[in-house]
Amino acid sequence: MIRFENVDKWFGPMQALAGVSGEVGRGEVKVLVGPSGSGKSTLIRTVTRLETIQGGRVLVDGTDVGSRGVDINRLRQRVGFVFQAYNLFPHLSAIGNITLGLTKLRGMNKAEARERGLAELARVGLAEKADEMPGRLSGGQRQRVAIARSLAMDPQVMLFDEPTSALDPEMVGEVLAAMKQLAASGMTMICVTHEMGFAREVADEIWFMEGGAVLERGKPAELTGTSAHSRLQAFLASTRHGGSAA
Amino acid sequence: MLEILENNWLLFLVGQYPHGPIGGLTMTLFMAATALALCFPFAIALALARLSPYRWLRLPATAIVHTVRGLPLIMFIFWTYFVSPLVIGRAVGGVETLVIALVVYEAAYLSEIIRAGIEGLPAGQVEAAKSLGLRYWPTTFKVVLPQALHNMLPSMVSQFVSTIKETSLGYVISAHEVTFAASQVNNVLLTQPFEVYGILALTYFVLCFALTSLARFIERRTSSGRGGAPGVIVAA
Repeated sequence: MIRFENVDKWFGPMQALAGVSGEVGRGEVKVLVGPSGSGKSTLIRTVTRLETIQGGRVLVDGTDVGSRGVDINRLRQRVGFVFQAYNLFPHLSAIGNITLGLTKLRGMNKAEARERGLAELARVGLAEKADEMPGRLSGGQRQRVAIARSLAMDPQVMLFDEPTSALDPEMVGEVLAAMKQLAASGMTMICVTHEMGFAREVADEIWFMEGGAVLERGKPAELTGTSAHSRLQAFLASTRHGGSAA
Repeated sequence: MLEILENNWLLFLVGQYPHGPIGGLTMTLFMAATALALCFPFAIALALARLSPYRWLRLPATAIVHTVRGLPLIMFIFWTYFVSPLVIGRAVGGVETLVIALVVYEAAYLSEIIRAGIEGLPAGQVEAAKSLGLRYWPTTFKVVLPQALHNMLPSMVSQFVSTIKETSLGYVISAHEVTFAASQVNNVLLTQPFEVYGILALTYFVLCFALTSLARFIERRTSSGRGGAPGVIVAA
């Protein structure tokens, strides 16, 4: 489904990704973990060319994301992206955020788009907030609207860039619940997150990144089990993020 | 002063209308509003061109903006006044001349306001639009501009205030606006220039101060309206 082949990325003199390779199969959930600046977010941003790369290839369903001929906007419609800062459009209501893509890209009329949007909002438990402006929603609600906005485009893959990091602790659960539900439905997902509980529960594989490279990958139990001696575990122990591991 | 006002208020307000062309304060407001409305599409085009990744769009737009901003408005008025008859083939009235000059001039300034508004948006807004698969134009017209223009509303009201004051230059090409009306009154009375131009000054001040206050009011509302940054309140 998604393949990274020796991906290199520089920000000026700083190498953000150093020869990253890996594959995400259909229906798989990968969780990327690592210290900040390790290249996790950059890696998933290369999948929809929010970041261009200087070396290697990123393939989505066999299509080279970086090639000149590719219709990047069409590709982006198939790959949902959820941001840490939600990035809802503040001048549009919750439902307006969702229907924008449907009317502009799917050719739906307003009524069809609204119906579809309401269905997506219902999936994340926010049908009654459809006409609220984002400014009047809590962080957790905003992020769930953002997830619904992406899902409305019928993506084949969902990318999550630290979706709960900007949230107050009491709101993390509702967003993770929506993500778990999505994973259970068979969605292909790559999640950058520090929520180790989530990783243990739904990840098919955890990639531990540091310095722009994937240092370690394995099943959650192998990397975080009590008998494991992994670099991931050392990292978790050394950071406060370990506290949310339970 | 009151007596002058009592005898001439209609001239100040509408010029010689209905016995002659409409003028006075009405014309001042009409010209300022028309100029700003007409320059709007040009300003948006200039702003987008200046932010374009394409050099062939960015460089000419930047050159235009810098050139216009580097010249006094009166130059544009003279140019328009003397050049447009050559281009159009007939004499152009003072009002049209002034409006054309203002459109060119204000487009450059307004484009800078719009550009600032666009650049002030969080990068995540465009990224979110891109991630949905939206192309440049829907992203610009459905996501970027509605927010940028909304945020820049106070600056645009301020620009309107500047434009109102700039219409007074229409006096030199006999555009019948409020300064022209005042000078007509002065020419009749001959001995009371201080009072006449005092009334003129007061008229401009009341109008512009009211609009500036409106801009401040809008600024306060927009900063708290969308639950955005409630702390951002401009010092009065």
